This record gives sequence, structure tokens and C-alpha cells, in this order.
Amino acid sequence: MAVISLYYRYLERMTGAGRGEILERLPMFGSDIERVEEDHVDVEFFPSRPDLFSVEGVARAMRGFLGLETGLPKYQVTPSGINFSIDPGLAAIRPYLGTAVIRGISLDEEAILSLMGLQEALHWALGRGRSKVAIGIHDLDRVTPPFRYIAGERTRAFVPLDYDREMTMEEILEEHPKGRAYAEIVKDFPKFPLIVDACDNVLSFPPIINGELTRVTGESRNLLLDTTGTDERAVMTAVNILCTALADAGGRIESVEVQGTHIPTLAPSTRLVSTRECNTLLGVGFTPQELSVLLQRMRFSAEPAGDDKVRVTVPCYRADIMHDWDVFEDAAIAYGYENFRTEIPPTFTIGRAHPVITIASAVRSLGSGLGYQEVIPFTLSSERVMYGKMQRPTVPGTLCVLHPISEENTMVRTGILPLLIETLQYNRHRELPQRLFAVGDVVEGLQTFQKAAFVSLHPAADFSEAYAVADVLCRELSISYTPEESEDPAFIVGRRGNLLKKGRVIGTFGEIHPAVLNAWELEHPVAAVELDLTAVPGYPSGLGTP
Amino acid sequence: MDLSLNEKRLLKALEQEKSADPGSLAALLGATRDQVVQYAMLLSDRGLARIDKTVEISWTLTPEGTLYAREGLPERQLLKGIVGRVPMAELTKHPLSRIGIGQMRKKGWITIRDGMVERTGKDAPGADELALPDISRGGEGARELVKRGLATEEETVSFRIAITPEGEAAAGKGLDLSGEVGTLSREQILTGQWKDLRLRRYSLETLPRKVYPGKIHPYQRILDEMRQILLEMGFAEIYGGLAQSSFWNFDALFQPQDHPAREMQDTFFLKETVPVPRGFERVRDMHIHGGTTSSTGWGGEWSVKKAEQCVLRTHTTSLSIQHLVSHPEPPVKVFCIGRVYRRESIDSTHLAEFEQLEGIVMDRDVTFRHLLGFLKEFYGRMGFEGVRFRPGYFPYTEPSVEPEVYVDGLGWVEMGGAGIFREEVRAPWGVKHPVLAWGLGVSRVAMLRLGLKDLRLLYRTDIDLVRETPTWRPSLITGPGGE
Repeated sequence: MAVISLYYRYLERMTGAGRGEILERLPMFGSDIERVEEDHVDVEFFPSRPDLFSVEGVARAMRGFLGLETGLPKYQVTPSGINFSIDPGLAAIRPYLGTAVIRGISLDEEAILSLMGLQEALHWALGRGRSKVAIGIHDLDRVTPPFRYIAGERTRAFVPLDYDREMTMEEILEEHPKGRAYAEIVKDFPKFPLIVDACDNVLSFPPIINGELTRVTGESRNLLLDTTGTDERAVMTAVNILCTALADAGGRIESVEVQGTHIPTLAPSTRLVSTRECNTLLGVGFTPQELSVLLQRMRFSAEPAGDDKVRVTVPCYRADIMHDWDVFEDAAIAYGYENFRTEIPPTFTIGRAHPVITIASAVRSLGSGLGYQEVIPFTLSSERVMYGKMQRPTVPGTLCVLHPISEENTMVRTGILPLLIETLQYNRHRELPQRLFAVGDVVEGLQTFQKAAFVSLHPAADFSEAYAVADVLCRELSISYTPEESEDPAFIVGRRGNLLKKGRVIGTFGEIHPAVLNAWELEHPVAAVELDLTAVPGYPSGLGTP
Repeated sequence: MDLSLNEKRLLKALEQEKSADPGSLAALLGATRDQVVQYAMLLSDRGLARIDKTVEISWTLTPEGTLYAREGLPERQLLKGIVGRVPMAELTKHPLSRIGIGQMRKKGWITIRDGMVERTGKDAPGADELALPDISRGGEGARELVKRGLATEEETVSFRIAITPEGEAAAGKGLDLSGEVGTLSREQILTGQWKDLRLRRYSLETLPRKVYPGKIHPYQRILDEMRQILLEMGFAEIYGGLAQSSFWNFDALFQPQDHPAREMQDTFFLKETVPVPRGFERVRDMHIHGGTTSSTGWGGEWSVKKAEQCVLRTHTTSLSIQHLVSHPEPPVKVFCIGRVYRRESIDSTHLAEFEQLEGIVMDRDVTFRHLLGFLKEFYGRMGFEGVRFRPGYFPYTEPSVEPEVYVDGLGWVEMGGAGIFREEVRAPWGVKHPVLAWGLGVSRVAMLRLGLKDLRLLYRTDIDLVRETPTWRPSLITGPGGE
């Protein structure tokens, strides 16, 4: 999530309202206040609203929400006369370029902080860690147009930001902190993206690092913006969001000619939405006029167009407006979620428990009736717990996760018994006897189904106890079984059995092998039973596969 | 005065002996010492006997203490090696340096300056050292040795039991020593013998043995309670696999293929794949250009291969959407409580797997107001009186809402998410009516209810937690039927 620092002084100046009022209304606008500090507040905004990742953007939205200034904010763009070319060699590397010139800006410290925060958050939310979009902002007066976006030689050298010596792009990827952080995105290409001016000075090595030459400071008055990436829509959205923020901060926006197109236009788009559809969705009775007023508070321009329709103009920075319902949600926010009269849905249906869960509940009441305590172990486990320490061979079709986060979570459990034994280990110092059970999902291959397991640890636990529990479970669950000798190495030879139903092994029981007890540091015998609940009559078939 | 047979027998013995230790009385009565002390306490409560208790403390050296008694305390051994100024580094090579240096400093025998150690000359033996040769004398030195783990302290309690003048008087009136019965036998009950028996009286002062019932886990009871509420509200329960294709987990829910949740650092991916279902093209088109709706779609490309890769489900919404696809006609009201997975490092507030509760309502004419009304009713039944709604964001709902409940001492607490399925989600499957959807991380409710600070305790069970958590209690938040 994007957490944005809003400095009060700048926020109040840009909004024209006091911090108290802003902080009170922000949550109802759609944000979480994370921390309130002396001079600023940290606010988390949704990833769908990158236009709110700057003080300028928040102030613009809040002016509407608080009713201080409503309707579409207008942005003028005049041509800069500057050209920016794209090398066709970039098509397979990083094809898209967005750009703009911002003139007459004067950034104080708080405005620079806001701009840096915006750039950072856009890299995360829109740019997917710079791979989809990366942003560079330059002091235009340090370089000479026209500019060229080229596929440069990997050995081309320049002075990167924060360094005082020339490095080749290959060296940057190895040595510069930003190079190391983002090397993955470009390192396998034969050539690297590069932005140069008319005199072949390097502005930027996107998406890695700018040149030191064009560093932006409080003295910078005219800026050049570049956004490069692999997704045209996202690249242009980033330009729109940055330009509107910089225009709000006092800059004049000028377009740049890229391959015959003038970028940016900052032109809004229009949608003709239905008031009836909005009312049906929200359960309200807005008139087209009322809907228009609400939308204007969300900084759309909106006017009734007939009995039902409303013509909505969407500002260029609202990349999240994909569908008419996105507009209706904004109307609901402007109306205030707290103002909706809630109502129970009239839908009449009859409740119905799922048989798998009903069977699990039956096992739970049986378990507690037998004096066993339920535990709810994790479903993620490891080969060491499931097989190694149980002396059991690996079950074919064990479902392993591709990038486990730790050695304890490498696979989905194929059984529950090992996890009960693990739980006994956690509880080594607790009073005896310990009788535990668990019921829940296991996976074999891609098939999810339920098993139940029971363990009993105390000085007199033995095979007979396990057999008796296996038998009572089957009787109570209406499973008719035949016992056979088991070869499960987790149990003692001659003290272990399988439960067979129509020739299929549906359960195992017996006295846990002392070597297994040693592996788990247990000091008393353990009688154990595990049962496959698909053997319970009424367990539905054909469930649990993707 | 209603004396038990055992009390009478002891009183009778004391009448002879006047005063005796429990051992000899035990021999006289054919009982154990402990039993005699127990009977004597009962007599003493009645003022018929007196118990004099003597506590003696004895000290014994531990094996380590015995070693030092022979070779000197570590600090003494170490001190001998210090001649003039010795570098600290030199001193730490001594095997006893870890204990010895600390003790020497504590006792003021040495000073350490700039890494050099020097004797202060004040190194007379302390109380502990003096006690070492003969620990049995006890005193302050012995106590210090106990603190240092070089000696152990043992308390021996001895009793002497004596009859009081009141006891003599009671015994003088004569004692009926005919037998008392504890457990009634079948024969005694059936034959009527019980009428002539003296039944032993039991004391309420003797606390009962603590027994633990077999139990359903307190967390499971909360899950069952929620399930019950939803069944009562007319929802049908659904169940499905832990492994899902990316298609059902993400694509069918209009999550773009480059969404951060679909990267390997957030989701457990599996090497297994399953083919995309029939009709996948409509989902693909929705992603690329919004299909036949007013949506623009996400643009860009859509890869079948990405959709086919399996994941451990990140939400049970993957089951809800599949249920909708197979039941496109209204009304549909279903819920699911199941395990979901996030690729998170585990700590007290984050788990890689946890339960999610989720439900959907699809019907003609259901609206956002119904969604809010439903949420209010559900949380109310869970015992949360104060419920409020704030705007939220979820990729597959529009509008989206974050319900919050009021908890005393915590304020407004976020309780899951909700919204109406985007048209992009339902349109590809011919679902023509709105779908209200909501989800809830159940573990948060459980933490509040059970007063836990660490999420892991729900799954890595300390069986004492299960044993000591009452089956029924008014919850911390005001639960149903609570106070």
C-alpha cells in the first residue's frame, strides 16, 4: 500500500482548509490515517488512486470533497517546440516514452518532498517496481533539446546521480545502489535504454538512474519529465498525474513532440452514464441533477443530458475510472457512506450446511465425547515433519510450493497425524494424559479432502487403546471396515493396523514407533489413529479439485 | 461433635501418648504419616489436638560447590594468577574467567582500567568463601552459595502432635470406634444394610481433583458460531479445494495479470497447471478491452499460460465465483469458511495461512444499501453493536466498503471488506443481477474474543489454552447472550 506523508503547512495552503477538518474527512473519502505527527500526517491511499499520492493531488480532491472548489480542474498545455525521438531498437527492450516540459516552477522544500514521494509511490503502484513505468525528472536548463531515447551500448559511461565519477552502465548495475536494486529489469538486454540531449549528454538510464547533470534542486525553474515503460497506458497515466500535480504546484505545462504526437494533452475523457443504473446499484433515488452535483464534488464535470443520462467528464489523472460503476462509487462517496439508510436484503433462501463440514462437525463432537481435545494445526508443513521424523516414505503427489518462505512451510500436508505428534512435542511439559484430535483439509496431488487424526499420550497408552478408538470412530461414522496388518513404519511392528473398506485403505492405527517418539522428544507411548473422511457414507464425491 | 472414625482413632491414641510424632502415631494406627497429619489437622480445627510444626533447613554443596571447596572459588583461583598488572585478554584465557572476573569485580578485589587488570589488595574471603568448608553451619555465606548455584537448601518440616485439655475431655466421654463406610457396595444398597451403616462424611475443604473435558477448540467454536449465524440467515455453505488455478483465483475476479498480488513474493505458486475452462475467452476479452460492457478493461495482453498456473488459494472468493458460474440464475446466497494462504513471513500478527469467512448474495434488485444492511445484521449477531462503513478498494468490487466495528478500548477496528462484484466479474458468465460480496479474516475476531496477542497461538496449540478457556463465557466484546 502507498503511504504518503502530507506536510500540514503545504497541505493547508494547497487545500485552503485547516488540518483538523482535513484529517476528520479523509477517512470517509477512502484512506487510512496511519500516523499523526507534529508536522505531517502519514496517510495510506488505495493503489487504484495514484493521483492521490501527492499533497497536490490530495488537496485537489479534498477541495472538492469539502465543497471549496468543485467540478473539473482545468489544465492548459502549450507546445514547447521541443522534439523527443524514440530509437526503434527499443521496441523489444522498453518501447514507450511519455514526456512533458514544466516551466516557471519554484519548488520549496515541502513541494520537493511531495514530488519525491509521488515519484516513489508511482514507481510502486503504477510502475510495478519500475518494470512497467519508471520516471525521471530533470532540470531542463542543464541540457539542450532535441532529446533522444535510444538503445545505448552497455559500456557507455556517464556520471550517475549521487556520484562524482563516470561509470559505464554495466558498472552502474553492479555498483550503484539503484543499479543493484533494479538490475533485473534490464540486465539481460544486449543494449540499455538511454536518454541523451542534442550534445549527447546523458539525462537518464531508465529505469535505473538519472545523470547527475540534470539533478533537480530548489533553484530549478524549468523541468523535463520522462516516463518510460512497457505499458503505454500506464506510461501516459504517470505523465498525467505528475503534470497535474506540478501544474497545481505552480508550473506551466508544455507538450513535447514525440514521433509526431504532442505529449501530454491532459485532456479529459467523457462518459454518458445512466442515473437509473446508478440508483439501481446504490439503492437510492438521485435525480440526474443531484447525481451531477455529487460528481462535481469528486472533481468530475457533470451535467444532466436528458431524463436519465448524465454527461460526465473525467479528469486525465483518474486512471481508475474504467467503468460507469467507478463513477457511481464516487457518487456514493460524495453522498457519504454514513448517510446510506441500511436495509436487510429481501432475498429469501433456505440455509443449507455443506455435507463435508457437517461430517467434520460430527467428528468433532465424537472427539470431544471421547475425551479428546481439539487442536487446529497449520496445513503448510515440511517433508521433514510429514515424512522424515515419522520414518515414512514420501507420498507421491505431495503438493510443494514453488518459493517456500521457510523450511517449515514447503508443502501442503498430506496427513494430520504428524502435526498432532508435533503438537504433543510443543506440549511436552503439560499435564498427562494428553488426548488430542484434529480434523481438516489435506491435499494429495491437486485434490483436497478431509482427514481426522487422534493421538493419546500417557504412560499406559498402547495398541489396544488405538484399536478401540479406530473401531468406535468407524462404528459411530457408519463405516464398515475390515482390519489388516499395516506396514506403516511410523508404528511398532505387530502393533499397527490398517482400516480397509472395499479393499481401500481408509485409515491407520497403532502404537507409535519409539524411534519416532525419540525424534519428537516424547517420553511416553502414543496411541494414534488417522482416518480418511471420504470413507464416511455421504461424503460427496467429485469435490476439491481446481 | 461429629468426629470421623479416623479422628476418633487418633484421639484415642493421643489419649494414651499425650504427645507424639506422626511416625509413631502412624505405626499405632496402621496409617501413613501424611494421613496422620491430615487427621490431626482436623482434630486441631476442632481444638482437640495441637500440632507443633518445626522447620529445619539443611544445606548441601552441589558437585560444582564440592569441587570449589577442594580447589577454591573461581575468583580465588583466578586472583592467584594476577601479579602486578595483567591484560584482560590474558585473564580471559583462564577456563574459569567467565565466573571469576565478575566475582572479583563484584567483591572489589580488582580494578579494570584500559583493558588492564590490577589487584586492589582488599581480597579477604567473603561470607560465601568462609562458608564453603563447612556448609552445614548455614548462615549468610550458605545463602550466598545457594544464590550462586553452588549449594542447595532443603527444608525439613517435622510435626509433633499433642492432645489438648478439650481433647482429653472429649476422649474421656468415650469414643465409639465402630466402622465407617466410604464407597457403598452394590450389596449394601440392595440388601438394605446401608440403614445400619455409618457413612463417612467428606470435607468440602478438600478441593476436588481438576478434570479436563474433551473439547472443541475455542477458535473452532467461534467458527461454528459464525457458520450457525449464516445458516440461520438462509445461506448455503460451499466447500472447495485449497489449490486453485490462477484463472479462478485471479483472472475470473478481474485481477490484472500484472497485479502485485500475482507476483511470487505475495502468493504461493505451484508448479502444477490446469487448463482454462470453457468460456475463458470472455474473461480474456474483459481484461483486454472490457468485452461488451462500459469498461475499458486493463489493456495490454492476457496470457493463457499465466491463467493456468495453480496457486494455494489467496481467498475463498475463488470458490464463490465458481459457484456463481454454475448457478447464474437468482437467487444465490452462499458462504464459505476456509483456509487461505499469503506468502508472508510468520510473526505474531502475520501468518501464511488463516481462515477466511466469505459470502455472496446474488438476486434481482439487491443494492449497496442491502449490502450495508446485511453487514450490520451479521456483525450485530456476532456481538458488535457499533458498525460503520468507509470507502474501500478491492480489485473485483465496485463500490467497495470497509466495515469497521467498535470495540471498547480499541476504538474502530477494521473487520474485513465488502462490495458489489464489478460487472467485469459477472458479465462473462451471464450473471445478470448484482452480487453482494463480503469477506472477513476470522482470526481477528478470534483474537478479540479470546484476548490473544499472538495469532500463532490459534494454530500452534498450547493445550493448556484449550483446557483453561471455558466452553461458554461472556466474550470480551459483548457476545451473543453475553453481559
